[in-house]
Amino acid sequence: MSYYIRLALRYLWGRRLRTALTTLAIAFGTMLIFGMNGLVPAVEAAYRQQLMQAASQVDLTITGETRGAFPETALEVVRGTPGVAYATGSLARPVVLSPADAPVLPDGSRLGTVVLSGIDPETAPQVRRFEVVSGRLLQPGDGDVLVISESLARRTGLGPGDRLRLPSATGAATFEIVGVIAGEPGAVSDDVYAPLAAAQALLNQPGRINTIEALAAPGSDVQEVRQAALARLGSGYKLGESQVGSEMQAAVKMGEVAFNLFGVLTLAMAGFIIFNTFRTVVVERRRDIGMLRAIGASRRTVIGLILTESLLQGVIGTAVGLCGGYLLALGMGAIVAPLWSQALRLSLGGPVFKPVTYVLAIGLGIGVTVVAGLWPAISAGRVPPLEALRPAVGEVSWKPAGRRAAFGVALVVVALLGLASGNLNLASLGAVLFLVGLVLVGPVLVRPIAGVFGRLLELVFAQEGRIAEGNLARQPGRAAITASAMTIGLAILVALGGMMTSIESGLFRYIDRSLGADYLLMPHSMVLGGGNVGAGPELAEAIRNVPGIAGVTTVRLAMGRIGDTDVQTIGIDPESYPRIAGLEFSAGDPEEAFAALAEGRALIANGIFSAQKGLQVGQELTLQTPEGPKTYKVVGIGMDFLNAKLATVYISQENLARDLHETSDVLLMADQAADADPTEVRAQLERIVAQYPAFSLLSGEELRVEYKQMFGMAMRLLQLLMVALAVPSLIALMNTLGINVLERTREIGVLRAVGSTRRQVQRMIVGESLLLSALGTAFGLLGGLWLGYVLVGALNETGFKMPYYFPYGGLMLAVAVGLVFGVIAGLVPARRAARMDLLAALRYE
Amino acid sequence: MAIVETKELTKVYGRGDAAVTALRNVDLRVEPGEFVAVMGPSGCGKSTLLHLVGGLDRPTSGRVALNGEDLSELGDDALTRLRRREIGFVFQFYNLIPVLSAAENVALPLVLDGVSPRKARSQAQMWLERVGLSDRSDHRPDELSGGQQQRVAIARALAGEPALILADEPTGNLDSRAGDEIAALLRRVVDEWKRTVLMVTHDPRIAAYADRIIFLKDGTVVDEAHLSGGDDGAEKLVRQRMEGL
Repeated sequence: MSYYIRLALRYLWGRRLRTALTTLAIAFGTMLIFGMNGLVPAVEAAYRQQLMQAASQVDLTITGETRGAFPETALEVVRGTPGVAYATGSLARPVVLSPADAPVLPDGSRLGTVVLSGIDPETAPQVRRFEVVSGRLLQPGDGDVLVISESLARRTGLGPGDRLRLPSATGAATFEIVGVIAGEPGAVSDDVYAPLAAAQALLNQPGRINTIEALAAPGSDVQEVRQAALARLGSGYKLGESQVGSEMQAAVKMGEVAFNLFGVLTLAMAGFIIFNTFRTVVVERRRDIGMLRAIGASRRTVIGLILTESLLQGVIGTAVGLCGGYLLALGMGAIVAPLWSQALRLSLGGPVFKPVTYVLAIGLGIGVTVVAGLWPAISAGRVPPLEALRPAVGEVSWKPAGRRAAFGVALVVVALLGLASGNLNLASLGAVLFLVGLVLVGPVLVRPIAGVFGRLLELVFAQEGRIAEGNLARQPGRAAITASAMTIGLAILVALGGMMTSIESGLFRYIDRSLGADYLLMPHSMVLGGGNVGAGPELAEAIRNVPGIAGVTTVRLAMGRIGDTDVQTIGIDPESYPRIAGLEFSAGDPEEAFAALAEGRALIANGIFSAQKGLQVGQELTLQTPEGPKTYKVVGIGMDFLNAKLATVYISQENLARDLHETSDVLLMADQAADADPTEVRAQLERIVAQYPAFSLLSGEELRVEYKQMFGMAMRLLQLLMVALAVPSLIALMNTLGINVLERTREIGVLRAVGSTRRQVQRMIVGESLLLSALGTAFGLLGGLWLGYVLVGALNETGFKMPYYFPYGGLMLAVAVGLVFGVIAGLVPARRAARMDLLAALRYE
Repeated sequence: MAIVETKELTKVYGRGDAAVTALRNVDLRVEPGEFVAVMGPSGCGKSTLLHLVGGLDRPTSGRVALNGEDLSELGDDALTRLRRREIGFVFQFYNLIPVLSAAENVALPLVLDGVSPRKARSQAQMWLERVGLSDRSDHRPDELSGGQQQRVAIARALAGEPALILADEPTGNLDSRAGDEIAALLRRVVDEWKRTVLMVTHDPRIAAYADRIIFLKDGTVVDEAHLSGGDDGAEKLVRQRMEGL
């Protein structure tokens, strides 16, 4: 082992507690980044399981441009294309099972979703190879029978002779399993295959398919055949497999970005801590370093020594962080998985760590540490050899604050411009610049702020308070940098508090508005397009006929395409929907908008979609439909709760049926009459819903409670992370106070010699600590409120309309954390100062 | 050729009204194999002289030559190399690295010079043996007495085989018995191991171990005394001269 590494290790070991705490800060940041990025692929994989299997061995796969279903007649067009030998059509969709009917998995949970493929028993085997594992393949003339994939059979124990109940447009249908087939190697999708006609009936898509697969005749040019087939079909079709469920990936990405931001902020904090610690280290070891220089160590050697130490800490911290991240991903997975299978009917696999995740986590973890150690290392290289002969610890000198403060002010101005620009990226960048700016302006603000808090402190510790205040004002730069570690921690605390309060209140407004009906027939997956099987008109009719029901409205769903964006196209009844449910409008007049929907091709766009496209009321859009492009006019911007995260447009059910051929209801809402007996109405509804296992009956009130619980859980998790994030600022505070005590050894000795008691010295240091944390808290509140406001503003920019709520809770928590930390951080150095040997302290020069 | 030669060496700290002249036109020659002590009252500039000779600080005017090489012409890297190879430092507060053992501390200058760890270690062991601490080589500084720490420091100063040892109040932090031991050790450095020692001290008893004493006052050389080395008469002589300053 190199001499220098040994030296670095010995130094680190010599300050075990500090090393551990600083390393912890790095570990924490790395853990968040690594863990979260490990979980995201698992989440994506869960969605991908829903995607239809790409038929790898076929030459040609054609789907609708909108990813919706199209008439079977298209199949004949493909068959007629020169060069096509065989072609088959299928209708495939994920189907969310009713929990009561779903098979039990080995881990005790129930299967959430299967991918149902309706295939033509005659032509499908001509195009795709089906390898029978047990039982038989589908045959012409089969009715409600299924062939299932080997992986599904293995997972559920189902086999030939067993039955599986699937939800259908008219309630539910029971299928008999007749065979098991081998899946694609490595595929784990839960595939079930039914005769095309049976699938069409189940999904309420008579005469429609959504995929055509074909094999080219031997000797023909596959590329040519593909283009020829596409040309013959005309617009509205595309090559490649259809991807059901990919719309949710955008939401997953959003979560990924949020967690990465959190991780990066944590690492930035860790960087501050490292920076602070190594500044301490350099001050403490000035004599050692001076001696090394005196006996012939070059500047580079000294810089190398300090960097070796930070590198070692980075490596250890990152290694610990990787292990922690792995556990975090496992733990989070364990918490999220049941929630998911309940709310989204998706099963979540174990964490997946891609090479890029390793690179990101390791690079950031070690990188931040080394970069943070760089400046202290360079300043160590500047320690003159004379320091070895001069026992007094030199004052850490700071450049005049003027230029930095001016730069800080400039940053704050740029940050404000970033917010004003209305661009999400610029606004986020602005928030970061704002904090950096605040840190730079800090030293100038230290004096006045220390003055104000000092006066408060004097009320408690009359004499020591004034000395503490003076000590801070004397070194405003150092005070500011310590306070800044605290600032960043608390700013994040307050900002997240503000954002969470706003999101929570905002979401509840959406819930009230769009799901405010007395009764809801909810599909099992909260994502409407996530594989829920809709009901035919009979269900709505049955509910309408229940005595005591005042009104019923339904929501239908199809996938459409506008420009290059897949949009959920939701069909509502313009007359009953606003009465029973409603949308939260941010542009356009609600009454006029709903009236316009009823009149012609008009749509209401939701916030996310309108933000993506920069939509204006009155603008015309072209919606790609299986019937070709149709022009719709934007008559309003508004959104509901369930679809807030996905690009969505609302059109009339009449238009949805005509242009997108979708007539099944995926969500039903009903209000009861004022004089009706709730128990009686509910009992009647229960009876009806029992025949439709794809739905569950909820009261508006129950739903709100359910969502509150879900959000509560997420919030608690975030709060835990937030508090953990504040811990590193405690370490930073301790470090700086440590340097303080060290630098003022002689001064403290004099104070003791002229009659200060140990207690008074202790109070002075704790007072200083309190002042520093008060400073950090003040900056943190300021920065946090701003950052929170920006975050909520940024959310609004993405179309997720919500008012900014002032985070009283977060604010109080931040102040409490700030003050408590101030005292805790002061205690250790205060004890050290008070216990100082008086004579040694005086001799210290 | 003199190992150390200064010409009109002057050092001024501060500027304008606050300027303090620590050294004024000092001319000094130290021949190879000499043991020279620099004495004088507090603030006479004796430490400044040592710093300038050791290349730790730069003069305001005048020059310092080591083996004929003018230090003022050397850059930071060259000065660093010179300190590493030509000079050994002994400090008042020993300045050992607290986390390294005695042997590791002694090996430090060799490691800094790129000597292999194995060779550095055996070299360090040899010097520890010579200063009488071979049984303490694995002890850390806080496990050694002040006198022992200073002996480790002297071993460290000698490990790189420099021709010149600069000692700044080497006994300033020790009791008189340990001080005598260190002074006697420095005497051996000159007599047995043929180095040159330039030592700053304010203690006449320690200075009496030297061959020659330079007396400084207010930054200038005011007197010089040649001694036969180590006897009581010498100490008395030094005391008398000091009182005369």
